[in-house]
Amino acid sequence: MRLWPAILLLLGLTGLLLAAEPPDGVMTLSIPKDVNRPLPGKVDHIWSGVIVATNPENPKEPPAELREFAPRLKRVFGYSQFELAGSATQAIDELTENWLVPSPIFPLSVRARRTTSKEARGGYLLNLQLFQEKRPLVDTEVKLAPGSPLFIRGPQYGKGQVIIVLQVQR
Amino acid sequence: MKPFEEQFTAWVDGQLTGAELADFEKQLAEHPEAAAEKDGALKLGKLLREHPTVPPLGNPEFFNHQLMQRIAAETPRPVEKKRAFFWSLPRLAWAGAACLAITLALFQTTIPGGAKHIDKSNYFAQVVENWPGNPNVSASTVYSADDNVTVVWLDGLDYIPATYALNK
Repeated sequence: MRLWPAILLLLGLTGLLLAAEPPDGVMTLSIPKDVNRPLPGKVDHIWSGVIVATNPENPKEPPAELREFAPRLKRVFGYSQFELAGSATQAIDELTENWLVPSPIFPLSVRARRTTSKEARGGYLLNLQLFQEKRPLVDTEVKLAPGSPLFIRGPQYGKGQVIIVLQVQR
Repeated sequence: MKPFEEQFTAWVDGQLTGAELADFEKQLAEHPEAAAEKDGALKLGKLLREHPTVPPLGNPEFFNHQLMQRIAAETPRPVEKKRAFFWSLPRLAWAGAACLAITLALFQTTIPGGAKHIDKSNYFAQVVENWPGNPNVSASTVYSADDNVTVVWLDGLDYIPATYALNK
């Protein structure tokens, strides 16, 4: 029996195995290439809004800021109309506590630290503290990628629901 | 009528009598060489009667067994191929290649992970932990993969009447 075809096949398959991309969870020493960092001199911002979701007979079109989220919010919360009660934007300062006041009823304290997580694509690890006036409602630690909104289901309001939205903007 | 050979044998043995004997002796007259063989045939008959042909066997089964063993020992056997204790080098190489091929196939088809399983969506919002600020309030995380929506779901909050202005 000739030996060389088997050896060639063995070498080829070994090469294929070595060249295969490591699966998720396998530690690699390479720096992820697709991590988006803000350009020098550019500062990331955090935007927050207080949304009032209701089910009127004739729902209005959502405002421009919410147009992107409205279809998803409809499916998740089951309301047909979304209005923006207020919004606020703040430049992210990693050194200090950032205060966002989209509504005086629902102020937000945000501490931001850039995360090295590959999935967050240069996003932030945020420590949020949501208040209802002076009462703390919840402390949350969250990793957010730029452009990925986080929603907080707030209290019932009239016949509707308060939803607070938070998004890192680059 | 019996054939001549049979009558001859009976005549040698002295079993022909009467008319049968007379007829046979008439026929014998026509075959003088047969009459000449009578003495020889008589001697042979006497010898066979005095010496039984097969001596009785003491242990016929044991004899059969010995005989069969000798036959088996003397019959040439078909040559069997010697089995190698371990595989030869080419066989080992082929086996290795086959194992690798199976491993690759299983890796590609059954193990989740790898480029084709990575979610290409840009959405990423991961809640690490929630701490409600009030014992009456509960906080949980709801994630809808289909809609790419992550919600911190608060329950137990006080109702706010519609008359209350959110944007004072």
